[in-house]
Amino acid sequence: MRGRLVGLLGSLVLLVVAGACSRSKEGAQQAGGSDAGGTQAAAQVARVKLALNWVPEPEFGGFYAARDQGAFKRHGLEVEILGGGVGVPVLQMVATGQVEFGIVGGDELLTARARGVDLIPLFAVYQTSPQAIMVHASRGAKGIQDVLSSGTIALEPGLPYAAWLKKKYGFDKVKVVPYDGGVAQFVTNKDFAQQCFITSEPIAARRQGADPVVFLVADEGFNPYSAVVVTRREMWKEQPERVKNFVAAVREGWRAYLDNPAPANAVMGKLNTTLDAETFAAAAQAQKPLIETEETRTQGLGFMSRTRWETLGRQLVELGLLEKAPAPDEFLLPEFTQAAGKGSP
Amino acid sequence: MRMSGLRRTFPGGVPVLQGMDLDVGAGSFVALVGPSGCGKSTLLRLVAGLDQPNAGTLTFSPPLDHTPGARTPIAYVFQDAHLLPWRSVLDNVALPLELAGVPAAERHASARAMLTQVGLGDATARYPAQLSGGMRMRVSLARALVTRPRLLLLDEPFAALDELTRHRLDDQLLALWKELGMTVLFVTHSLSEAAYLAERVVVLSRRPARVMLDRHLDLPSERLPALRADPGFAREMGLLFHALEQGDAA
Amino acid sequence: MKILREALAPLTALAILLVLWETVARVFSVSPIVLPPPSAIGLEASRAADTLLSGALSTGRSALLGFGLSTAVGVLAAIVLSSSRVLERALYPYALFLQMVPIIAIAPVLVVWFGHGARAVAVSSFIVSVFPVIANTHTGMRSVDPALRDMFRLYGARRVATLWKLELPASLPHLFTGLRVASGLSVVGAIVGEWVAGVVEGDAGLGILVLAANRQGNTARVFAAVLAASMLGLMLFGAVSLTGERMLRRWHPSASGS
Repeated sequence: MRGRLVGLLGSLVLLVVAGACSRSKEGAQQAGGSDAGGTQAAAQVARVKLALNWVPEPEFGGFYAARDQGAFKRHGLEVEILGGGVGVPVLQMVATGQVEFGIVGGDELLTARARGVDLIPLFAVYQTSPQAIMVHASRGAKGIQDVLSSGTIALEPGLPYAAWLKKKYGFDKVKVVPYDGGVAQFVTNKDFAQQCFITSEPIAARRQGADPVVFLVADEGFNPYSAVVVTRREMWKEQPERVKNFVAAVREGWRAYLDNPAPANAVMGKLNTTLDAETFAAAAQAQKPLIETEETRTQGLGFMSRTRWETLGRQLVELGLLEKAPAPDEFLLPEFTQAAGKGSP
Repeated sequence: MRMSGLRRTFPGGVPVLQGMDLDVGAGSFVALVGPSGCGKSTLLRLVAGLDQPNAGTLTFSPPLDHTPGARTPIAYVFQDAHLLPWRSVLDNVALPLELAGVPAAERHASARAMLTQVGLGDATARYPAQLSGGMRMRVSLARALVTRPRLLLLDEPFAALDELTRHRLDDQLLALWKELGMTVLFVTHSLSEAAYLAERVVVLSRRPARVMLDRHLDLPSERLPALRADPGFAREMGLLFHALEQGDAA
Repeated sequence: MKILREALAPLTALAILLVLWETVARVFSVSPIVLPPPSAIGLEASRAADTLLSGALSTGRSALLGFGLSTAVGVLAAIVLSSSRVLERALYPYALFLQMVPIIAIAPVLVVWFGHGARAVAVSSFIVSVFPVIANTHTGMRSVDPALRDMFRLYGARRVATLWKLELPASLPHLFTGLRVASGLSVVGAIVGEWVAGVVEGDAGLGILVLAANRQGNTARVFAAVLAASMLGLMLFGAVSLTGERMLRRWHPSASGS
């Protein structure tokens, strides 16, 4: 009996040690690689992984375009894109080095950093958060406040902007239920409202005959950067060129996608068969003003400003999700807050 | 009780009884012996009504009263005491009366009396798990007799007990029979037990069972333990054994 | 007391495990969003104690209701199934079906029938935990000593009397085996039910707390909530075991501790 207990604990220790060792081994490999990479940059192609935090949809179009239209290759990268879904732990995957790059929400990055996970943001796809509340037009709601005055609303538990709306308007007059990722309940019930991605659920609901009205959460004053590319600090320390190349390629890919989304949509359509080609096209169109703004025209696609990160930090502290707002200098690299090269859009 | 031409064939075509005739007088003590598997237990079950014959008749005089709720006229004692483990000794013995609808006070009193008669008057609150094999069998006997049955059927009841306990229970059974006067049909594979207990022994052959010997024993009516050493006892046993051997040789 | 002595061994193992876990987490700098050390979990648990407690009450209420339903319906179903071979053959596959269909798939249907809230969550808890009760009680009733059945028949016992005085008491040990399994499952069923059919505000259960903590990257709170759920299950299991012990103490070897 004692022997078995020791054996069990021993294997537990071995497991964690193995996990830790594999990480440090990877670090050594990367360090060794960068020495060689400097002299043979053009010839060597680096293999990296990018983890998405949802299924392939127009919100990731630029990444697929970068892969399939040669942007990554031109920058010496071979990128494997891992499609996500419900509950995929992108933060953990990047933090443990399972993948080199990942897509997360701005608020997620700050809460992870508060727990000592040193991830840094590189590129923000959405300048305006596509998160929204959709409600039936027949309810005559003029804004989110009206939506929260009666009926039922489906929200993901723990959503920061839900906390924001609760603080602003209160949830005592509405029944809050879990968001199930679809529109089935919405379509069948006129008193049902739900969270949505402006590029996604409203389009699906309309195709099923419903008449939704959409209110952006950003208009309520809570607007974190969304679909943010992040990587580990170690990755930046050991392979700065690779990271810069990745971001440059991503920027090119998004340019290409914004100009012509069709090829990438076709590729994503095969991976995500729940949406048809029309929906892909409609969503790609709907998200354009959220991605390309006045600021990106001067500063470049994916631009991130200190002010926006400061505001987000402050808001998360107000909501009780952070103890202290981190100074952007701690994680915002100057390389990624300025225009990437002259004249590039 | 009279059985005539009793036939029983088990599903699958195995004939166990092919025309058994037997007359048992009221108040008599009859032992049934025979080799294993010859059908003694089947016979007993047919008499009890736990099984139906394929042919033949079984009559009782006076006729049995089978109205639901009446005190059942037939009691059965199995080889295993088969007590309900979740009930106290008292409630186990009172069970037949309970199933007949007798109110609690009355049935508990009858049960207590019966338990005293078998020498377990101070064990009424115990549970079967706390009793020895012999004590459990005594409880089973008490349960069988609590309804004052007209006919008591016993199927090798003491076979699983040790010699000493068996002898004690043999005497206990005889005493109860003498006092209550019911008809007893006792199945056993022990010739000495049959000879010690019964007035009359029926020896059966191998399956399908035929009567090899039906003998009123020539032994004193008062059975004392010393009888087992008596030469008359040995003589009767010899006759029984001979019939048994013949019946098995077929 | 006997209970303390019995608890000593697993408690010591737990203490050793916690110390090891804390040491390993610190020494190897395991990422706190992957596996937080016990100290972080304990800290978070004390910080969020109010929320965890109300969550536990909410989930506990639904799980208890679901468990109660499983007991009642389970025993009734076992009685029906044991009453006739025809009924058994006809209905047993459906009981089995309830066990096999993943609750995540049924949960949206529960929302349609019962709306979001405690009722649907209790039904989810019931669906997940009922089958072991049915299966075990049914086996228990089928395993009644045939000689005892004969005796009841001999004494002219009616069907109800045989059921009440023989079959049900005889299957009590089996019933409690089923109840012990169902106790843990009822908590699992409640939590999974909350994910789809619960409410997020007002009466949020532990399942919702787990999702929220996960969404906010608070892995320590996720662990704390999971621990709270396990404790709920353990408490229910303990209550069932103790009741079983008391009821079977005098006559069944499984309870006598020998």
